Amino acid sequence: MPRDSSSLEQLLENPHVWRGRAHAQTEAGLSSGYEKLDRHLPGGGWPQHSLTEILTEQYGIGELKLLMPALSRLSADDPVVPYTEPGWIAWVAPPFQPYPPALDAWGINLSRLLIVRPKDDSEILWSAEQALASGTCAAVLLWPETLNDQDSRRLQLAAEKGRSWAIAFRPATARHEPSAAALRIEMQADQAGTHIHVFKSRGGRPVRLHSIFSG
Amino acid sequence: MARTTKNPVLAREAAPAPPGKIHHGAKPDGLQVLLPLADAAPPSESTPLSTATRRLWFCVYLPNLSLEASGKGTAPLAVVEDQHGIHRVLLANEAAIAAGVMPGQSANAALALLPELELEERCTLKEQQVLESLAAWLEQFSSFVSIVSSDVLLLEIAGSLRLYGGLQSLRQQVSKGLERQGFAASLSIAPTPLAATWLARGGRRVCVREATNLVPILRKLPLYCLDWPVAATESLAGMGITKIGDCLRLPREGFARRFGAKRLIELDRAVGRLPDPRTSWRAPEHFCADYEMIEEQSDRELLLAICRELLVAHEQFLLVRQLGTQRLCFSFYHLKAAATKLSLGCMQADRSAKRWSELLSIRFERLGLPEPVIAVRLQGGHTQPLQAESGRLAFQGRAEGSERYSMTQLAERLVARIGNQSVNGVATVAEHRPQLAWRSRNLLAGKVSDALSFVKRGLKRPLWMLPEPAPLHAEEGYPLHLGRLRLLEGPERLETGWWDENGIARDYYTAINPRGMRLWIFKNRSTRSDWYLHGIFG
Repeated sequence: MPRDSSSLEQLLENPHVWRGRAHAQTEAGLSSGYEKLDRHLPGGGWPQHSLTEILTEQYGIGELKLLMPALSRLSADDPVVPYTEPGWIAWVAPPFQPYPPALDAWGINLSRLLIVRPKDDSEILWSAEQALASGTCAAVLLWPETLNDQDSRRLQLAAEKGRSWAIAFRPATARHEPSAAALRIEMQADQAGTHIHVFKSRGGRPVRLHSIFSG
Repeated sequence: MARTTKNPVLAREAAPAPPGKIHHGAKPDGLQVLLPLADAAPPSESTPLSTATRRLWFCVYLPNLSLEASGKGTAPLAVVEDQHGIHRVLLANEAAIAAGVMPGQSANAALALLPELELEERCTLKEQQVLESLAAWLEQFSSFVSIVSSDVLLLEIAGSLRLYGGLQSLRQQVSKGLERQGFAASLSIAPTPLAATWLARGGRRVCVREATNLVPILRKLPLYCLDWPVAATESLAGMGITKIGDCLRLPREGFARRFGAKRLIELDRAVGRLPDPRTSWRAPEHFCADYEMIEEQSDRELLLAICRELLVAHEQFLLVRQLGTQRLCFSFYHLKAAATKLSLGCMQADRSAKRWSELLSIRFERLGLPEPVIAVRLQGGHTQPLQAESGRLAFQGRAEGSERYSMTQLAERLVARIGNQSVNGVATVAEHRPQLAWRSRNLLAGKVSDALSFVKRGLKRPLWMLPEPAPLHAEEGYPLHLGRLRLLEGPERLETGWWDENGIARDYYTAINPRGMRLWIFKNRSTRSDWYLHGIFG
């Protein structure tokens, strides 16, 4: 009956009616460069303008390699809108020195790399928040010592405000702490390769992916 | 002779000139020649006033400056000055006048009338400072500002009228601005500087644009507006001459002999018969402003507000000159301790008070003040021409509406809080030794030179580098790092560097440990024994 269907449409137009995945699909993700991962992320890639958490037991298992294709795309000139400046990529409190020749080899624009080494945890969060909210940084990578629920919410808000992508690296033990991040993944590695466990994904489903880097 | 018929008064005052003899001041013996010439010259087409380069002078007369420089409270206040050994009231504010305190009274008499009256010694230095700051403020309205005397400022505004939307609008802006700053001023506009000054001194808030209208208005001015010596005005008054008009009617030669040629020249300059060159005043290029408090303060919010006020003045100062600065220095003065200094720096020359106060509040939060503060001084650094950036069109920006700021601004904020050493960029260096193949880059330094950053691509290098190679333990010849390492690739031999101190001879391998960490390790060729960890493939 036409009358009914129109009233249904009217009802669905009401902003109070929440329609499941519709919200998350509005924004396309940034392709990670790994097809296996893209297939399981809502929007077909990394969720932009929000907080992503990467949990690892130790460094050196491909946690940077996972991000490199996406970061190199962010730091390249935008072919669609030619006059926009490519965004900066800020590294806040990295555990070691990011090695420029290797970054260069991945295609990261080194002239737009900012490395910040704050002295304590509150300064790490402050710096990351400033960088995110400034609207200048396309991505902000941070290695906080601790990150509670409230901090993650602040980072999330700053990322939305500055339309930037926050990536927080945290120890695997943080898995059971609540977080406002849009995407939380855990990385594990053994001799066979690096495995990813997406255990929180806004608008998506949890998934386990094995040997992410091997095809 | 249209002009003569229009202006019969002038024609009577000055006899017609012998043709061809009108060139003021051209002869070397100025004064002697000027008199007869000026005598003979009516304002004709050849006078400066009627030519294309017509000027208009705006006079700002501040009758109460010494009072306003002393303080701006509402409590009864009088400024006293030492006159022949007796302190006399020079000026009094409204509350004091209401109680009967009059200028000219002795200080004791004033105190007898109003015991709670506050007496302030006149400070000419302070008045001069206030006058100069006002002149600096007025520089926004004209490129030609002149300090005439201790209470008179002159502006040439003919060139500014268009920009400020006409005479009335300009006048209103000046008068409102002065009122806002708490100054009572008498403003008048005339085609000659002296006429404008006299009109303002006489309290005539008039605006004379045309030279032809000037003389009838000047004629009515009493002589006390002229700032002539009292003896001269009294002697003239004795002759029944109290107005400028009366003076103009006197025989010129006799007037000059009796009262000095200078007075006659002044009159001629005022009506525009003689040119009246003025010197332009320029504010100093360095900004320095003080804020003195009546009592010591330790309220940080209040101090911050004072600093912001100084920054606004600083912005105004730079705006007029189209300059920016990269450095600022605040000094907080204490009564019993050395001043606390706070320097601020930014990477791009700027003048915006908003941006500076953002940086200030980040730094001020952590500033330790040993004692309450009695005064704050702001000193501007070296100025440089401001390079304006073009704004971004709305559809080009990534974020619309939201507050965006540039990378330099972000870096400045970070530097302000966590220090200059902790905020860096990076660059590659064409060098085969891994630890020398990059350098950190100061973001202040600007662009990286591309010639240096050409690096051979295609080498397998780790994303993480250790600051110093870390020695690894070994077990049966196998290196250990959280378990026994398995070599995946290698060796890659990197050697020499005999031209400096850091020569190497190493075999690099890629290794993996049982937990899946990929490491970049090396062995020294010379010693043969030790393994070192140098990088991590993140």
